Amino acid sequence: MIRFEHVSKCFVTPARGSVWAVRDLDLACVGGEFTCVLGPSGCGKTTLLRVAAGLAAPTQGRVFVNGNAVAGVPENVGMVSQEGALLPWRKVLENVALGLEIAGLRAPQRKARALAAIRRVGLPAEVARSLPHELSGGMRQRVALARALCAAPRVLLMDEPFASVDEPTRHHLQAELLELWAADRQTILFVTHSIEEAVFLADRIVVMTFGRTVAEIAVDLPRPRDRFSEAFVGLLLAVRRAFADPRDHELDLDLA
Amino acid sequence: MKIALGAVVPAAILLAWHFASRGSAVVPSIGSVVNVLIHPFRDPPDLDATPLADGALASILRVACGFSLAALTAVPIGLLVGRCRAAMEMLSPTMAAAMVISPIAWIPVAIIIFGLTSPATALYGEEAWRHGLLDQLRFAIVAVIWMGAFFPIALNTAAGAAAVREAHIEAARMLGAGRRQVLSKVVLPSAGPAIMTGLRVGGGIAWRVIIAAEIFPGTRGGLGYMITTAHEQASYEYAFASIIVIGAIGLTLDGLLRLGAVRVGRWQPKER
Repeated sequence: MIRFEHVSKCFVTPARGSVWAVRDLDLACVGGEFTCVLGPSGCGKTTLLRVAAGLAAPTQGRVFVNGNAVAGVPENVGMVSQEGALLPWRKVLENVALGLEIAGLRAPQRKARALAAIRRVGLPAEVARSLPHELSGGMRQRVALARALCAAPRVLLMDEPFASVDEPTRHHLQAELLELWAADRQTILFVTHSIEEAVFLADRIVVMTFGRTVAEIAVDLPRPRDRFSEAFVGLLLAVRRAFADPRDHELDLDLA
Repeated sequence: MKIALGAVVPAAILLAWHFASRGSAVVPSIGSVVNVLIHPFRDPPDLDATPLADGALASILRVACGFSLAALTAVPIGLLVGRCRAAMEMLSPTMAAAMVISPIAWIPVAIIIFGLTSPATALYGEEAWRHGLLDQLRFAIVAVIWMGAFFPIALNTAAGAAAVREAHIEAARMLGAGRRQVLSKVVLPSAGPAIMTGLRVGGGIAWRVIIAAEIFPGTRGGLGYMITTAHEQASYEYAFASIIVIGAIGLTLDGLLRLGAVRVGRWQPKER
């Protein structure tokens, strides 16, 4: 469903010259798989997601989503960013229905589908009339998820969507995401810097540093996963060992 | 309490005016000015000018035309400058320089370009003078108002369009939006409050400019014309009445634009 073939992405910055955010990366996510890309800040994981979303063109290599080479924003792909990127002048209902509005659906159909999506992510229908700034961080992320799910995408790209919410809310959101994914079985590529989040959510964890994948770890734990179980903690430590690198990756990115 | 405080300065001005007008040949009495204001459709007996209401209508029409043209041209150009780097590099120095030139300075230039032409001269030629208001809508005056309102609207629009968050544009693109939909569903609403600020500033300048622009040769009506004529013919009550009407219309215009700004920007969170 998502395949990266020798993908590299280089940025040219005035201060640092050419910076390779992703370097010769190969990765394949099969249909219905939940893959977490785990890495420190600046390791290139967000860039990888943006390349898959068609928001950034790879400098080298190719990306395929749903079997088609990515050139521009691909169809049937939803995205949820860290900040949600809700349009602040639109009410929640209008935000969730935006994709349907763009697709040209009539207002009554839009409203019905958007309300259903709002309920699906665990929000009460009354929230539909609120503006994004009137909601808590966790609710905003739920709305962003509802907006992405409203168009029923086959691939969901998620860029640290729960990074800005408190821990209990994050745990709730993770469990709810897994419930939604269990029902729809989209292919999910989920970027995070939290090892615990990756172990809790993923079928497979791809560890990235310096723009490259350094480890791929299958997570065979049954769901729902118990964060305090011996197997969970053992896997957490195994991933931490693969991940551990005391250096500041962001500053150490190679200058080409 | 708020209203009472706000009334202190006008009351002081009225009092000063009252004392200044006593025995003065130049300063009209409050009563004579009120008399002009409550009879806006009466022909001024000792003045070569149209009634006050006609003058106000002529000024409003000129401003409406110039301001509408400015809004219609400045918003698209501002959006282009705000969203396109090449357009910004090409146009913003000129716009910034033109912004600081008083619109009144353009009156001679406007006269050179447009002469005494008006919609009436374009439609009816030598019979134009028969079509009062249409003839008074001189292109040169409209052009000067346009110059006054255009730059604040364009620069504010450009600033608003440049400040649109890339994350919002990308969110819309991920939901399938093309260029037009990004413009209509993200850029325009996001820049809306800045555009409204530009319209408010531009509207204020347009209304101030009209008074000076109505000294334009061949002008026969308008509040600016009435002030000049009243001064020349020593009918000062008409000059004072015109000033009051200018203030009242300016306040109304600003109030309407402020209402529009509040409506467009009501999604913005307010701190308490």
